[in-house]
Amino acid sequence: MEALVEELKNKIIAALSLEDIKPADIKADEPIFGTGLGLDSIDSLELVSMLERDYGILIEEMSVAQKAFASVRTLAEFVAKNRKN
Amino acid sequence: MGASLETTLSQPRAAVAGCGAICATGAGIGTLADALRDNRSALRAREAFAGKRYQTTVAGWVPEETIAQLATHDPEHADAHAFLMADAALQEAGKNLPTAAAGRRALVLSTTKADILAMERVFHRQPCSRTVHRHILPRLLADDLAAAHQVRGPVQCVSAACISGLLALQQGASLIERGAADVVLVAGVDLVSHFVLAGFTSLKSLDAEGCRPFDSRRTGLSLGEGAGAVALVRRDLLPSPVWTIAGWGSSNDANHLTGPSRDGSGLVLAINRALQRAAVATGGIDYLHAHGTGTLYNDNMESLALRTVFGKNVPPCSSSKGIFGHTLGAAGVLETILCLLAARSNTLPGTPRLLERDPVAPQSMLLRPQPATRLRCMLKINSGFGGANAALVLRKDPA
Amino acid sequence: MSDIVIKAAGWLGPEGFGNDLAGLANWPAPLGEALRRGELEELRWSELFDSEAERFARMDWLSRLGLMAVELLDARFETWDAQDREQTGICVETATGCLTSDAEFLRLPRPTVFTYTLPSTVIGEICIRHRFKGPMLCLMSSGKSTRATIDEAAGWLREGSAKACLCVSCEAVSPDVAALLPPDLALENKWQACALLLGRKSGAPRQHALGKGTLTETCRHLCRAARRC
Repeated sequence: MEALVEELKNKIIAALSLEDIKPADIKADEPIFGTGLGLDSIDSLELVSMLERDYGILIEEMSVAQKAFASVRTLAEFVAKNRKN
Repeated sequence: MGASLETTLSQPRAAVAGCGAICATGAGIGTLADALRDNRSALRAREAFAGKRYQTTVAGWVPEETIAQLATHDPEHADAHAFLMADAALQEAGKNLPTAAAGRRALVLSTTKADILAMERVFHRQPCSRTVHRHILPRLLADDLAAAHQVRGPVQCVSAACISGLLALQQGASLIERGAADVVLVAGVDLVSHFVLAGFTSLKSLDAEGCRPFDSRRTGLSLGEGAGAVALVRRDLLPSPVWTIAGWGSSNDANHLTGPSRDGSGLVLAINRALQRAAVATGGIDYLHAHGTGTLYNDNMESLALRTVFGKNVPPCSSSKGIFGHTLGAAGVLETILCLLAARSNTLPGTPRLLERDPVAPQSMLLRPQPATRLRCMLKINSGFGGANAALVLRKDPA
Repeated sequence: MSDIVIKAAGWLGPEGFGNDLAGLANWPAPLGEALRRGELEELRWSELFDSEAERFARMDWLSRLGLMAVELLDARFETWDAQDREQTGICVETATGCLTSDAEFLRLPRPTVFTYTLPSTVIGEICIRHRFKGPMLCLMSSGKSTRATIDEAAGWLREGSAKACLCVSCEAVSPDVAALLPPDLALENKWQACALLLGRKSGAPRQHALGKGTLTETCRHLCRAARRC
């Protein structure tokens, strides 16, 4: 699971073009949104797009996404459970 | 609203001499007038686009046989669908115009993606005629349309997201007001494509069944394609009465790229600028055609903006995106044409596909068409990505 | 046209960048290597400016270029009050528009890229940064710079639709763009961006007369003190 958490941190940084952020700057148990990263609604859509592309997970309702994005660890658990690739 | 020095148009000179349309209802403004009368939606699914994991294929598709007919009559442009549609709309709008030298005829085109189908083909290395390859550049599409319609005067191509159509009408009126042209052909065109379906799917902003503007259970917009054309002519060249472009205004929310400003203040600015230029008070608007896309955010914002401008007295209003979808660059023009058709039949339009009005929406939002007691002055509004807002006032002359 | 004047000008392109202030010897930011090489894809905000641009990394090249051209203007927008910003309009002219983003989206559809597949998004970015809420217009040209934006802006200023107006030209040209265009189309194949700030004549010390040139010609003429790379 730790490896997936690290992998997701890197994917978040790449997908959202967070140029000045390193994986170590993102705390695995803190909320992805509503922190100092300055992310908005388009960014959550971008992550949904990434999940579909990289893990084959199709999210139709944003409420499902919002729960998964509670933290990177929550997201890792969600991905582990639902991934198709 | 801060102090504005907006010049008012006491005697607007740009008048509507003709209209043309191709959209989901078919070819010709007659098909649109019928849909208006019947309060009917022409949105439908499309098998050819299924299986791609788009949120939906339900959209305002132009009927395949309509395109096939246009292509048959113009084989040189058979694969240039944006050109075919805009050209057909311009032909319909351009019938019976007063004669003007080519140098006094202008054209303004409005489009967000021009011939996006050509861009897709080029990108995927599929065959593409040289004619349509040019139309990847919106301005060249405008130039080709100008050449096909004896235009040697100014040519402009506006591409400003979903407010392009209203801006094009504004530009057309402006050309006449400052004496740069006597006849201005204004056309708006956009196509539904994989590109755009994929884009709006990625934003999760499409309603799977079809848009329901201002409905309490709305979940998103429907795309649409087509072309609308309005021929504007110097007022003194036409017999009375005419409909004039009496005022216009635009603004930027300066807030967020895809979500409208929460308080609707940008749209309020655009509306007030248009009213000011037309020297018309809020009470002077007899009918308002909303942007009304069917997304949660837009319709909420728009409702708030209308309350801010009109208080408790929002004029009778509606949205027609339930008929032909959100036609992007063509929207401002097609929806203005719808206003003019409503005026012609002295009917206030309904809002097709609206079943249960959202409590936040104006009480005066019409579900079904109604006879109009008075239609002398109408307001058309649109908002778009990038915080764009525009408003246009149409006034009958003489009232 | 003598009642409308240019209050500031700025431009950047592969050969360098500049604005209408005489002498750029004391340009605040160190001149970066990327700008020396004239490569679009390697431009960084910090190579030109000390100020922050939070969203820059997330934008496409059309928006980045437009934003940078406006930032080069010596206009001190941060001192402008809300009402002035509310009445500042913007008119953009572009030929290649958002083709770089179109190509990127065709390669891989993503929501953030999609928002940049409209040539007018650059207007949104400029307005968000500077809180401009005035009239807006985006005109597509056929390749050569024109006077269209200047004429529109002058009209807005004269009729009172705006108190100040930006005229901006941007071309984000990349190999992707060339690949999409018809082969026989002779477009300027260099990336560049220009901006002019227009206003009504006033008692302010620095104002330039509006000549007869196109937007790009006017800009380049005024920015003679440009830094060469």
